[in-house]
Amino acid sequence: MSDESVKLSVANLTKRFGSLEVLQDISTQIRSGEFISIVGPSGCGKTTFLRIIGGLEQASSGDAHLDGRRIEGPGADRGFVFQQDNLLPWRDILANTEIGPEINGALSPEQRQNTLRLLKLVGLEGFEHYYPRQLSGGMRQRVNLARALAVDPALLLMDEPFSALDAQTREIMQTELSRIWEEGRKTVLFVTHQIDEAVYLSDRIFVFARRPGRINEIIDIDLPRPRPLSIKRTPRFVEYVDHIWKLIEEDVRVSVLEEHTG
Amino acid sequence: MIAFLHERRWSWGSVIFGLALWEFISRVIVGSKLFLAAPTQVFEALIELSSSGELGKHIWTSTLEFLLGYGAACVLGVALGFVMASSKAGKQSLQPWVSGLYATPTVALAPLFILWFGIGILSKVVVVAVLVIFPVTINTETGLRTTPTQLIETVRSFGANSRQIFFKVSLPSALPFIFAGFRLGIGRGLIGVVVAELFGARSGLGQLISQSAETFNMPNLFAGVTVLAAAGIAMTGGFTWLEQKLLPWRD
Ligand SMILES: Nc1ncnc2c1ncn2[C@@H]1O[C@H](COP(=O)(O)OP(=O)(O)O)[C@@H](O)[C@H]1O
Ligand SMILES: [Mg+2]
Repeated sequence: MSDESVKLSVANLTKRFGSLEVLQDISTQIRSGEFISIVGPSGCGKTTFLRIIGGLEQASSGDAHLDGRRIEGPGADRGFVFQQDNLLPWRDILANTEIGPEINGALSPEQRQNTLRLLKLVGLEGFEHYYPRQLSGGMRQRVNLARALAVDPALLLMDEPFSALDAQTREIMQTELSRIWEEGRKTVLFVTHQIDEAVYLSDRIFVFARRPGRINEIIDIDLPRPRPLSIKRTPRFVEYVDHIWKLIEEDVRVSVLEEHTG
Repeated sequence: MIAFLHERRWSWGSVIFGLALWEFISRVIVGSKLFLAAPTQVFEALIELSSSGELGKHIWTSTLEFLLGYGAACVLGVALGFVMASSKAGKQSLQPWVSGLYATPTVALAPLFILWFGIGILSKVVVVAVLVIFPVTINTETGLRTTPTQLIETVRSFGANSRQIFFKVSLPSALPFIFAGFRLGIGRGLIGVVVAELFGARSGLGQLISQSAETFNMPNLFAGVTVLAAAGIAMTGGFTWLEQKLLPWRD
């Protein structure tokens, strides 16, 4: 990988919570414009990994560089899309979407144009002055995405953003995200536990193993874009899904058993 | 309007029936103005007291006492609540006093405050403030402390500093609680004004009531109570309206 195409570079990243080692010695590089998904059984440290890259959590050792700069804390060069939409209930959709630029003192007429464009991009034109409680879950997740895009981040971090949505809305959101991504080609780190979602969206998939969390295998998804939803029924797609499922099956079984026995 | 009257017909009916019953009991059963005044007599007293300018004087005194005490308590209460929410030392050192004094019927200390601060308005202002400050403090603290952590985390992910987190998340999130504290304070503040005036005052609605009781002037006594009831209803209603205007984002 040539130096200028590297967006995010992670070196020997380890994270411990007390005596629990959650992430062990993770090293990887992500190219500019890549869509990367992280899949793995629950509790393998996916969220923790994303939070460290987002600067919301400190690594115990090792580090990560974004565009050559060491990540020390949160910043507007990253946009975080949380699992819950976390919209501020007292702000209308426009004000929610602009909170990132507002915090960074970047409000301007041009920014406003950009915000309106983003709301249009996520299909929320005309809802600028609605309050979050007036919107459906799917619409709120679109705002969540637009809000992260509004800071024009170098890296978009998404933590199971569709997991709270029903199956149909979820598929729609996948195609929407795919379309939006193809327009801007942002670098994306996307966490999900839905394997088909990962295959559908990604250029590469990091399959995590648990206890301690680490990258077990990296899989290149060689499917043409744009990808219609029907691609999910093609043999190649199903092969990818099966392959990844086999990789994590044993881990998932163990983690499910642990959750049930406490 | 007609539709509204019809919709609330049971409320109106109940009020009219109650007033009629009151009128009947006081005129036919009790039959003496010395013990109970009928609604029509109270109404007459209200007209008389206001045309002589006496009622205006009492209302002015009580309003001033209420507003000064209530305003001071709201400002101080929010400040104390903020201190308790933002520092562990502040929380631990203030909590016993706030909880203790909130549970105490501090209105019982009114005679003491009159002894200390005289029979002028200052003693009443203090009584009102003492009664109002604790619900405001407790609600402010609760509101700030229960700010959803995910919301704080979200603005933090965009690089917000602690000042931005406070003004953009914690404070707006606490506002409904703070307003509820203000609303609780209205009733307590009114009680404070009246009780403090009962123990010694030159004018005010409480003073009107105690003076009327001493002279067995029931119409005037009830006139004072009626004005207080109206004030309580108007302020609580006004407050609910203000909340809906200022916090339109809630259901
Ligand atoms: N703040 C924390 N303190 C202690 N343990 C934590 C903390 N955050 C996460 N963990 C633990 O780290 C492990 C990985 O969690 P997480 O990153 O949320 O996993 P995933 O997102 O893959 O489900 C879990 O065992 C979890 O209990
Ligand atoms: Mg997670």
